[in-house]
Amino acid sequence: MTGAETLAQKRPVSVAVSPWRPFLPLVWLALFGVLALLLAVAVGSVAIPPAELWAVITGEGSSLHNTLVWELRAPRALAGFATGGLLAMAGALMQILLRNPLADPYVLGVSGGAAVGALAAMLAGTGAFLLSGSAFAGALLSTFLVFGLAHGTGSWTPARLLLTGVVVASGWGAVITLMLAVGPKDKLPGMLYWLMGDLTYAQTPWPALVLLVLVCLLVIPLGRSLNVLARGPLQAAALGVAVRPLEWTIYILASLLTALAVTTAGSIGFVGLVVPHMLRLVLGNDQRLILPACALGGGALLTLADTLARIVIAPEQLPVGVITALLGVPTFLVLLYRSR
Amino acid sequence: MIPTLRAPISAVLLAAFSLSATAEVCVTDDRDREVCLDQSAERIVALSPGATELIWAAGAGDAVVGVVSYSDYPEEAKSVTSVGSHTRVDMEKLLSLKPDLVIAWATGNPKEQTDRLQELGQTLYFTEPRDFDTIASNIERLATLAGTEKAGNERAQTFRAGVDELRERYSDAPPVPVFYQVWDEPLMTINGEHFIHEVVELCGGENVFADLDRLVPRIDRESVLAADPEAIIAGGMGEENRDWLTAWEEYESLTATSRDNLFFVPPSTIQRPTPRLLEGGKTMCKKLEQARDRR
Repeated sequence: MTGAETLAQKRPVSVAVSPWRPFLPLVWLALFGVLALLLAVAVGSVAIPPAELWAVITGEGSSLHNTLVWELRAPRALAGFATGGLLAMAGALMQILLRNPLADPYVLGVSGGAAVGALAAMLAGTGAFLLSGSAFAGALLSTFLVFGLAHGTGSWTPARLLLTGVVVASGWGAVITLMLAVGPKDKLPGMLYWLMGDLTYAQTPWPALVLLVLVCLLVIPLGRSLNVLARGPLQAAALGVAVRPLEWTIYILASLLTALAVTTAGSIGFVGLVVPHMLRLVLGNDQRLILPACALGGGALLTLADTLARIVIAPEQLPVGVITALLGVPTFLVLLYRSR
Repeated sequence: MIPTLRAPISAVLLAAFSLSATAEVCVTDDRDREVCLDQSAERIVALSPGATELIWAAGAGDAVVGVVSYSDYPEEAKSVTSVGSHTRVDMEKLLSLKPDLVIAWATGNPKEQTDRLQELGQTLYFTEPRDFDTIASNIERLATLAGTEKAGNERAQTFRAGVDELRERYSDAPPVPVFYQVWDEPLMTINGEHFIHEVVELCGGENVFADLDRLVPRIDRESVLAADPEAIIAGGMGEENRDWLTAWEEYESLTATSRDNLFFVPPSTIQRPTPRLLEGGKTMCKKLEQARDRR
């Protein structure tokens, strides 16, 4: 962090020197991400000595250790990384779209729709695959519902989108409470864990990882327009940005990212709200830098948090949301306190 | 599905296997799956406190290498390695114990985790005892898998005999309308499909909420007052805590209150579908007999 910070402070000077210099923080964050992933693979409730770990990586480990590393730890670590990255990026996009620092990926009801889909699948007792599908369908349904309603007949504003989203989200909230109230007792723990966010449900990390990379590549060319939009729609329009199409693109992108994140690991809170702010405090508010930084930083934070959640009181497992908040709150407060 | 085809095939397979030296054992679990082991289970992990009690009753306690939290009976189970809680199993810990049989709880363990365990090649036996009969047969089936048939079958027999004895004694007893309280805030009871309902019936009681839809329905005080049970039986927070019952004492109009038929049955003996249910059954029958005496 301190490395990234000194770089950020030097940034105005170094821009003149090399155009790539401002992107150095991304290298640091990528390094941090790789370290978090390595840690996630290296530790768990079963201790694997470093020499044995190396043997596993080179394909000569014992079958138990192979299973632990390749079947349990690695997919979960990657899923955690992808989910964290998706959530942080979605949060950053929502904050630009709604021009509201309190916006998070869930504020417009995407996670509520996904939760209703997932809980319905759990009540019906379907398999894990249908559960993911149902959650994803719920998220998309909610996205298009809000999209359609916010469009309405009158003029469109971010405030109107926000209100529509918040009201739809409350509607989902009521449905979730109803499902929890009437659901059979034996299904309740699973439903609650899903709502708290839990990487136990992560099936395969690949869809989320692929989307993360794709969206990163997609938003980099958009970065300049996003920077202008963050200053206000009038300025953006005056500077030749097609505001309305850009806003809808952001909305659809952010919803898609959230939908896949929630489908992968349930509604994990905090990451999507705080990681973008954290990175802005350190790196400034250039979207070309912040969005990929969110992908890396959010991913690293969630991977680290999930690793801790697995081992803190092992063999009991904590929900990852507990750790993300416990790690993130003090970090964020320190950054906020030191800024300016 | 096609028994005419399956029978000859399995006969051939059986013949082929009986030639080899391995003694394969197969049983059907509570999800109607066939569970087969090449040899008797020697390293068993039990994923619910109830499963732990069942496997001990089957006489295979020595083979248990992993349990989950709250596995507090029998005493020896407390010192066995824990693999987390029944709602969230520490998969690493479980795999590291290299079990040859995992006893899962069909409606208690998360499906994601039991599915994953099967993908990873673990042999799972699902338990879901819903009445006296499945408790006994679970003990027998687990004993078959663990190669402890003698001890297991004996235990199952004792259990069945005990249940039969109670049934004989109370089947003609005058019925007592009973409200069984599972939880206090919110107020919860059991419907006619729950095994506790079977215990109530065994003792000649009548569960006043037997017709409700949900297995463990949430109800309000009014409906208890309206049903006016002759006896209220509560589990409660601990083994000695009667707090839940004192709340009923203010309702003088309740038959159960006016006749002082507010009874406590230790929850560990009645809320787990294990052989200890017989003990809880005996306690409950005694209480209902008291209620009849107070008429």
